[in-house]
Amino acid sequence: MSAPSERWFPVRQPLSRQRRLILTALSFLLPLALWCLVSYVPFIWHPDMKLEISANRPDVTTVYTAGDRLSKEFYPKFAEAIRQANADAQAGENPNSSPRATRRSNQKDLRQLASVGVREGWIGNDQTEDDAAIYKLWRDVANGEKVPKRVKLSDENMEIIRQNWQTLSAASPEYKTSLLPSEPLLKLIPQAKPSNPVYLPTPGEVIEAGWRDLTTPVDEGETSMWSRLLQSTKIVFAGFLISCLIGIPLGILCGTFDFFSRLFEPFIDFFRYLPAPTFSTLLVAIFLANDAPKIALVVVGTVFQMVLIISKTARLLDNSLLEAAQTLGAKPGQLLKSVVIPGILPDLYNDLRILLGWAWTWLVIAELIGVKSGLTEFIETQGRYRNFDRVFPVIFMIGVVGFATDQILAFLRPVFFPWTSKSGSFFRRFRRGSIAQP
Amino acid sequence: MSTSQLELPSYLEQSPKVQQHMADILSRETVLKVENLTKEFISPQGETIVALKDVNLEVKRREFLSVIGPSGCGKSTLMRILAGLETKTSGSATLDGKEITGPGPDRGMVFQGYTLFPWLSVKQNVMFGLKMKGLNKTTAESEALQWIELVGLKDFAGSYPHQLSGGMKQRVAIARALANEPRVLFMDEPFGALDSQTRAQMQHYLLQIWKNVDVTIVFITHDLEEAVYLSDRVLVLDANPGRVAEHIEVPVERPRSSAQFLSPQVLTTRARLEELIHSDPKSKLDDLPIFRMSKVGDDPDK
Repeated sequence: MSAPSERWFPVRQPLSRQRRLILTALSFLLPLALWCLVSYVPFIWHPDMKLEISANRPDVTTVYTAGDRLSKEFYPKFAEAIRQANADAQAGENPNSSPRATRRSNQKDLRQLASVGVREGWIGNDQTEDDAAIYKLWRDVANGEKVPKRVKLSDENMEIIRQNWQTLSAASPEYKTSLLPSEPLLKLIPQAKPSNPVYLPTPGEVIEAGWRDLTTPVDEGETSMWSRLLQSTKIVFAGFLISCLIGIPLGILCGTFDFFSRLFEPFIDFFRYLPAPTFSTLLVAIFLANDAPKIALVVVGTVFQMVLIISKTARLLDNSLLEAAQTLGAKPGQLLKSVVIPGILPDLYNDLRILLGWAWTWLVIAELIGVKSGLTEFIETQGRYRNFDRVFPVIFMIGVVGFATDQILAFLRPVFFPWTSKSGSFFRRFRRGSIAQP
Repeated sequence: MSTSQLELPSYLEQSPKVQQHMADILSRETVLKVENLTKEFISPQGETIVALKDVNLEVKRREFLSVIGPSGCGKSTLMRILAGLETKTSGSATLDGKEITGPGPDRGMVFQGYTLFPWLSVKQNVMFGLKMKGLNKTTAESEALQWIELVGLKDFAGSYPHQLSGGMKQRVAIARALANEPRVLFMDEPFGALDSQTRAQMQHYLLQIWKNVDVTIVFITHDLEEAVYLSDRVLVLDANPGRVAEHIEVPVERPRSSAQFLSPQVLTTRARLEELIHSDPKSKLDDLPIFRMSKVGDDPDK
């Protein structure tokens, strides 16, 4: 081992501990910084406008709600249409003929402020149709008792709010459906911020959505994120365990005895090219509903590779160790038990780490077959609603669990195998103060 | 090549003490007997390569035999056949009159590459053969400790091989092989990977161990001094095909010491070995056709 270098680009030399720490941190921070840059600096991309306040257009059925994204070309037309509607209403050109219809339209217009109330935390997520609470918001905002901070209301809209409150308070200081004014209220003009397309939410949105999904208690009969994670982890580990029970003995036998190698490996080599997902319907037919076909898919996806990888590892065992053992009187059975198995164990352990990662990649497909379940069901459902801010945290969660498992296993390797010195864990590499020797 | 003008006695001249010693060895029972042993390989190109041709050899009990020869003479192949790790093409090889068919604990082997089991401690490595024999753990352990003490590694019984130096590893390998109390100990260039100082020390250790243990040693080396220093007899093999060139009885009295290195007996034996090994004209060291490229400085030979 050579001493850590003082330079940043020494050829095949380890950097100092501190520099390695910096670079490892950067390897995570750089992608994150790039994401922040694209998300929060407007002129880099931001092709869309994300609505903070939306409005209904009279005679148009397409409804946009706060949070929806409009193209930069369409958004001004949309806002202009609402202004026009307000002007028409003030001019007395009321498209709603009956007072009842006007009142219903007024009720909808009242709820325009709900999205602002939720963003500011004045009302709960479930109160967007609680008209009494929203009514109070109009009063407080109009009186200046409540000033929105996260959604900066335009002067135009503040004026509309004051005007509307005048009309409303004249009819009733408290909310009563029957006491809504029969002349039309003014609509708030849509407000929006430049934003990226729906498939690239900002880090803030993702963290917020992820936190909400992880911490909000769920209703009876629904599945919490933690139990989804548990369910998914169970499928991965059950599938991996069964793979190990089949794959490790078979792999060791194939790598040790030519007999088993010739008997099994050609077919396995062929079978591993059959894509595992194509067996999904078959597996459902065999194992029926619930987790069994999913676990079976993980097994089908990993076990064949496992046999081949482990047989190769077993073959790589230094032949002179086997010869030495034979000159010490070891018989074939003893060779397997006392030399092959303990000899390949450290490499086998590393193989299993790689294969466990493999098992995680089959999880998503496994959870889609039969009855959708676990984290994938959540990803699927939210993805369909285009709630990608809720999808990303779950994807990251799978990554974090997989990565953490692998790092823990790498960290534990020297504990299990004190006679080896190599470690794949970068945490341990910091402690060592040197890169792993080739 | 030799610049020595000293008049040396013939390597065939033996002092009465050496004569007595040789007669003593030759009167003992034969442990290993090799008759007309031939080994042929089929090369990847399909040609038949004769590695060993009609090798004859007799090794007596408690003899120290070295095998030397140019590379490719099949000395390792011969040893591997005797150890049972390779099959012969024809001829016979017997241990105590029984034909050798495969590896067994009656023939221990020490390899150049140490081949210690890295997952076992020094003690467990030495216990390996004993456990294969079916000895219970306590007996195996106490026996192993005795052998570890013999090679002077008592303090390292609990260490793993990767914590030991090359010379220590090889001592463990020797202890491990001897723990089985084999009839013959094969050593395939065991000190080849060690630095010269450690090697000299190991040679000294090996002679001491051999003195105290009832074992016959067959020792491959390419180091001529090592062969002369250690052995009673030296088997010189010829290459292409591998044949016995000569059996040399080393005319150096025991106990051996490094002080004998410059004795006429050692020098004359060494010279004879050199002659045999380099008898192939192709392998002669010729002067390279290099003209002097540097224009400055003095010729270092003048």
